[in-house]
Amino acid sequence: MKQEQKSIHDILPVELIHIILLRVPAKHLASLRCVSKLWYSLISDPHFAELHFHHSPASSNALIFIQKGSVACLVYLDALFSDDNDASSQVKEVCLPLKKEPPSHLAVLGSCRGFVLLHGHPEFLVLWNPLTGSSRRISYSDIDSRSEYNGFRLPYSPQLYGFGYDASRDDYLVVVAWSQWERQDHFDCLSLRTNSWIYLDTALPKPLRIFAHQPCGLFLNGAIHWLVFPVKAYSVAIFIFDLKERAFSTIYAPEQLPCSYSYPNLALLGGCLALYYHNDDSYSTDIWVMKEYKVHSSWTLYQIPCLYFRPLCLSNNGDIIGEQFLWDKVEKRRFLIYNVGELLPRVKYSCSVYNISSTMLCIQRVSCHSLVTLRIRITRSRRGRKTAIKFTKNVLNNLMSLKVSITKDSNKERELGANIQVNSSTHGEKNI
Amino acid sequence: MGSPVKKIMLCSSEKEIFSVEEQVMVQHSVIINNMIEDGSYNHEESKIPLDCVDSKTLKKVIDYCTHHTHHHNDNQEDLEAWDAQFLNVDSNGLYDLLMAANYLEIRNLLDLIYGTIKNMIKGKKIDEIRRIFNIKDHGFTPEEEEQNRKEYPHFY
Repeated sequence: MKQEQKSIHDILPVELIHIILLRVPAKHLASLRCVSKLWYSLISDPHFAELHFHHSPASSNALIFIQKGSVACLVYLDALFSDDNDASSQVKEVCLPLKKEPPSHLAVLGSCRGFVLLHGHPEFLVLWNPLTGSSRRISYSDIDSRSEYNGFRLPYSPQLYGFGYDASRDDYLVVVAWSQWERQDHFDCLSLRTNSWIYLDTALPKPLRIFAHQPCGLFLNGAIHWLVFPVKAYSVAIFIFDLKERAFSTIYAPEQLPCSYSYPNLALLGGCLALYYHNDDSYSTDIWVMKEYKVHSSWTLYQIPCLYFRPLCLSNNGDIIGEQFLWDKVEKRRFLIYNVGELLPRVKYSCSVYNISSTMLCIQRVSCHSLVTLRIRITRSRRGRKTAIKFTKNVLNNLMSLKVSITKDSNKERELGANIQVNSSTHGEKNI
Repeated sequence: MGSPVKKIMLCSSEKEIFSVEEQVMVQHSVIINNMIEDGSYNHEESKIPLDCVDSKTLKKVIDYCTHHTHHHNDNQEDLEAWDAQFLNVDSNGLYDLLMAANYLEIRNLLDLIYGTIKNMIKGKKIDEIRRIFNIKDHGFTPEEEEQNRKEYPHFY
């Protein structure tokens, strides 16, 4: 006797479907929005994105770079080294948010919480989530009009700039440190929530006599970080701008950092700050990882037996994934993974990509965050907003109770399942 | 070894009574553990009514708890093989098990089922997912559906 199979929607209460979706890795979520209107509403909900970002078991790190035309490419670094050799799960093409612009002028600047900051010509920024397509255009003509430069351009003109998220205000911020000819230094901060610039010149360390060869800062722990070389000191420092306190602080590189090699670079590895440089003597790339945030004694050295290695992220097993620069084979990018524990044996992987000259950026965790919580008009114009909002009311209570319970317990996967009470009455209540 | 094994009574939605070792259910189900601990279960006369769990599903759940109580020292591979065999059910059976595990708060069974459903979803095309979960009424208007298919042809 074959029983008729029922739809998952008819049997499972929406809370359980919600939990199932929370467990699906972020990179699969974009397509799941098209399965049904219910799934669309669940995944598009900002609270879902937040829960997923903080509690999903496996994070996905992706490289993003702009291809020819209006297309960008995501390379999922974890998938690259998994046993699953399915190319479609490793490389994904996504449409850039500005189809009408000449795409050659778009550049990738920075990333935070799954968002990418793009720069477009003439003089505008775009905040964009490549996974969901959610995006917003930002003007910085305010700086341009105050600057005595002709044609202030964000990637080149400022001394420092960056992009981050202030959780205390639920706000994304773009910050720019720039100088006038007479060497007056300015520090401007754009709040996306209020859509206004805040002038924070007084927050800058004085005097700001620094050189930074990576002017775009990296976002970590609610702050933006830049590697700077103070002009009059032979030291390497990291400037930290805390987005909540709106104040700068400084930490120093390990003393053992040699000054004879190439300039060190700043990177993020598994939620830690890292400095790396090419060591010609030992023919290696030396990576100093600050294992405990802001604890100077926690700087730990890893020597990767490969010159010209650029660390990109940590795999879910804690191995270092990076790229090796190849001078001879320009049509290919070579990605390597190093197991840190076992004397760094190397596993190789080559991946051919098309637009080699384009800047590559590592998104530390792809996410399905959107900008809808920022209340102001956004350029995201996909469909289904109405349902998303209507639906939110129904699931919000459950979400809130979920949020409280999972933050209390690190064993969130189990708690998630256990904290939703289902009884026979919810069973019938599926068509919301 | 001499003392008799303590049993508890579970009652399915069809009012069928299942007698199970108390230890087995206490170890796995948070709800039953709480009931025994706070004394709301009387061994002489109580039955635990599980109105939303049918007999077939309840029997499966008891099988799972019993096996995992008595074989928790088995090697991981054997347990995983047993679990895979255990979840070799049709999708309705899987949903029923999920509802029951959720109701009784059997956490390792929940993890197992969620993991299985996640793997049914991961990396699949939309049409395939709709077929697997038997989603006929997706709720999009024909225009929205057409727009989605046009915009994201590679998802389908």
